[in-house]
Amino acid sequence: MTPAGQFAIRFLPYLAFCVAILLVPQFIDDAFLLNKYARYLVFAILAVALCLSWGYAGILNLGQATTFGIGSYCMAMSLKLGTVPVHTGSEGLPDFMVWNNVTELPWFWAPFHSTTFAIIAGVLVPALFAALLGWFMFRGRVTGVYAAIITLATMVVVNLLIIDQQRYTGGFNGITDLAQFEAAGFTFDAYSASTYYLVAGCLCLTLFVSYAITRSKTGLILQAIRDQEDRVRFFGYDVALYKVFVFAVSAGIAGVAGMLYTIVMEFASPTFLGVPLSLSVVIWVAVGGRQSLLGAVFGALIVTGTQGALSESETFLESWTLIMGALFVLVVLFLPKGLAGACELLVQRFRSAAADGKASEPRTPVATQPESAS
Amino acid sequence: MTNSQNLLELENATVAFGGFLAVSGLDFCVTKGELRCLIGPNGAGKTTALDLICGKTPISSGMIRFEGRPIDHLKEYQISRIGIGRKFQVPSVFRELTVRENLRIGNSRDPGVFGNLWRFGGKTEEPERLAELVGLQDELETAAAHLSHGQTQWLEIALILAQDPALILMDEPTAGMTGQETRKTADLFNRLRGQHTLMVVEHDMGFVRDIAETISVMHQGKLLAEGTLEEISADEAVREAYLGSGGIGHA
Ligand SMILES: Nc1ncnc2c1ncn2[C@@H]1O[C@H](COP(=O)(O)OP(=O)(O)O)[C@@H](O)[C@H]1O
Ligand SMILES: [Mg+2]
Repeated sequence: MTPAGQFAIRFLPYLAFCVAILLVPQFIDDAFLLNKYARYLVFAILAVALCLSWGYAGILNLGQATTFGIGSYCMAMSLKLGTVPVHTGSEGLPDFMVWNNVTELPWFWAPFHSTTFAIIAGVLVPALFAALLGWFMFRGRVTGVYAAIITLATMVVVNLLIIDQQRYTGGFNGITDLAQFEAAGFTFDAYSASTYYLVAGCLCLTLFVSYAITRSKTGLILQAIRDQEDRVRFFGYDVALYKVFVFAVSAGIAGVAGMLYTIVMEFASPTFLGVPLSLSVVIWVAVGGRQSLLGAVFGALIVTGTQGALSESETFLESWTLIMGALFVLVVLFLPKGLAGACELLVQRFRSAAADGKASEPRTPVATQPESAS
Repeated sequence: MTNSQNLLELENATVAFGGFLAVSGLDFCVTKGELRCLIGPNGAGKTTALDLICGKTPISSGMIRFEGRPIDHLKEYQISRIGIGRKFQVPSVFRELTVRENLRIGNSRDPGVFGNLWRFGGKTEEPERLAELVGLQDELETAAAHLSHGQTQWLEIALILAQDPALILMDEPTAGMTGQETRKTADLFNRLRGQHTLMVVEHDMGFVRDIAETISVMHQGKLLAEGTLEEISADEAVREAYLGSGGIGHA
């Protein structure tokens, strides 16, 4: 097969998926359903973020929700200021600040009057936060379980900080009663096709950028680092720098997901930086296949979709945690590469069966090896 | 002892693991373009000496110079970038990646994160040429995990060639190879001679005989003798060091 042909086969599923999600509003007119689907797509973006750092570079981030939460707060601050003067007290202060006897808008809130600033901050603040954390971890060669625990602990600290600083963050309640997101003179109603398109478009873009990264030589080196980090150094690659890079990119994507989540849900809450969400992301990615971006996306959609469907009945809601746990154990035991790995195996079987069938025909040999971690 | 001909100089290099001196006061020079063999009984400190040069193990005292500049304070990746490549005793390749992908990683002329973001498959002649050189041309799309032991050794050698460093450190490159494979490797090394400076740790005396110009013998972390095969075979101290391990031929 020509390289172009191989590229087409690899890339086609991505293209088909993007077209499919962009077509959904053509067939569904129910605003509540579109809002729900937009929420699932946000989770898919979050799954892509973890897939990059965990699946491709072997960095298990148990605190992916940290950067997701930071992104969502950046957007919520901007949308809160957008409600002036409806949900505000005197001098354009957000309502919760008035209740907390804050008399002046804090300096770090002021720039969020600008939507552009908020969007840039929603990507850059999580990315820089992760770069800093990553710098300390990866320079110090903290790996594996220890790195995972540090990400988890960091999330708990940030979460506590947000709850503690009620005067500036809304504490437990988070930031509620937000304006609708406006960009380029267009208003995105959370319960409309426009917000759905916004989220779907961001997912497509995320997939495309992430795909490009994983197919580049940098992506290859990240996979080598996952495979055998110590060997990579002796070829002259600065392993810590590569890990910081992918960690920061992953955080930036999670920040985008967080911003979109605030737009879709119309609030931000400390639960967004919670342990349950972070562990859920790990499960989605494991179920879908951590070495496939599209696999991770499907993992998120299938698991959250099932959860959404089941949560409509009381009995299932109670046992959901149990179901998730069992699913995780089953996948880890029987499908180490998740659904994507299972699909790849099926395609391979099918191909080699087809090749056997056509054995008499002269043909150029096709590589039947697994195209590892495509 | 700074000599412009010397590519690599170890001066009184010492490595202590706890109180144990794995390398103790090692003085050692390799000149440009040379193929140097390093032999010695098990536990003599050969691997540790290579670890020292490539930055895997920090030096306890002493000095290492490469092209006249001290390198013992540099990180592994920096040492690699100035032109020192290393093949490990336990063959060490990226098992989940294909041979072609392994070779792309070996070529690290531009090791930057951002430059490599814009580099995709592209020109693919180099991996093919190298794969052919080590007899892996039919395995380009095979995951390295599926290669035989000898093939894995060769793949790692090819990775070093892709890296193209001025100085190549090889730790027991023929371990686990069949006699025929070993002879092919000797051919390959003889072809590399001159283009690269090689420092080869080897146990197989037949192989050493095939490739060696100068042989250095290590014992208990020290340099015991240096010279041609005849000279060191006749050396009394060398004979003594190998006593009990069945003579130099079985080292
Ligand atoms: N990391 C380490 N910690 C403690 N001792 C070590 C370590 N690495 C090697 N040694 C010891 O140093 C000595 C030299 O080892 P090595 O350099 O591997 O020998 P060689 O390669 O010549 O067989 C051996 O006695 C070995 O047990
Ligand atoms: Mg050794």
